[in-house]
Amino acid sequence: MADACQVVRKQDLPPPGGYKPIPYKRLPAKQYFSGYAMIAGYLGITAAGLYIYSLNYKKIKRDEIEMRSAKMAIYPMLLAERDREYLKQLRRNRDAEAELMKDVPGWEVGTYYGERVYQNVPADALVEPIFHEYYAHADPREWIRRTYLKLRS
Amino acid sequence: MVVTVDVKLPEDSELTVQEVDLSAATLFAGSFHLGKYCEHANNEFMLCRMEEQDPRKCINEGKVVTACTMDFFRKVKKACLSEFNQYANCVDKSSGDFSLTQCRKTQGVYDKCMLEKLNIERPAFGYFCEARVHDTKRPKPPVEPKAVYPDATPALPEDREKVPARFGSRFYWMTE
Repeated sequence: MADACQVVRKQDLPPPGGYKPIPYKRLPAKQYFSGYAMIAGYLGITAAGLYIYSLNYKKIKRDEIEMRSAKMAIYPMLLAERDREYLKQLRRNRDAEAELMKDVPGWEVGTYYGERVYQNVPADALVEPIFHEYYAHADPREWIRRTYLKLRS
Repeated sequence: MVVTVDVKLPEDSELTVQEVDLSAATLFAGSFHLGKYCEHANNEFMLCRMEEQDPRKCINEGKVVTACTMDFFRKVKKACLSEFNQYANCVDKSSGDFSLTQCRKTQGVYDKCMLEKLNIERPAFGYFCEARVHDTKRPKPPVEPKAVYPDATPALPEDREKVPARFGSRFYWMTE
């Protein structure tokens, strides 16, 4: 037991020559451009980009005006067609309402038991009905289809 | 609906004319020459429509517009059908919004044909966006005079008759 304790113990010491110095010095990345060069590059690239953009901008504006022009050229024809169909549909709606409410005593078409909705317009004035009233007598599918189209456009 | 029996709506027979049954691509392809060909009818109709603000009063002008459009496309069909179809096909299939930019070659062929056979020149690209002055024989609708209101209505006397509301309260869930 005593023999086992007679081992020569080695003290933990620095390596011969001492420790290496701690590398605390900053090592910045390699710089390809100076600050002034980068600002100049930014300005140059922006100027070149703006020039190319301006070349395209004129063409795009021209095309936009052309498309608007084309739309305005066919708009009267589309509006005339739409007006005719709209008036036909108003008549259909009115007839449908008269047919639907014929058993209700005192009901007058377009009014609430004889009381008009709009008091201050002449009796003959055409007040365009709101969207839901316009589709009140139509197939609900048509209403949904039109609503979807409206929401998407 | 707000349309009462007092509102005069035109009969269906008055409103039924032959409609222009053409696709959007076809209309866009023909738009410039169409606008030039039917310029007077279009201006007359749009002026009427904007002045009157009532579709019932511009039915006849609208019929003239549709008839003119039909006439134009009939003439195109007779004179430049293949050129027009080529151009309309290009407009239809080259972009998603019927852009005319993609079809300058076919447009050139079509314009040439229209100029030679029907003597309609294609207007400049912004022609229909310009403001136009139109001279019409239709009388101008009377301008609504400025409303003149009397002095404020005197308040009701204190001992007025207090009748219940005709259509109930708008806060019916609170009062009933």
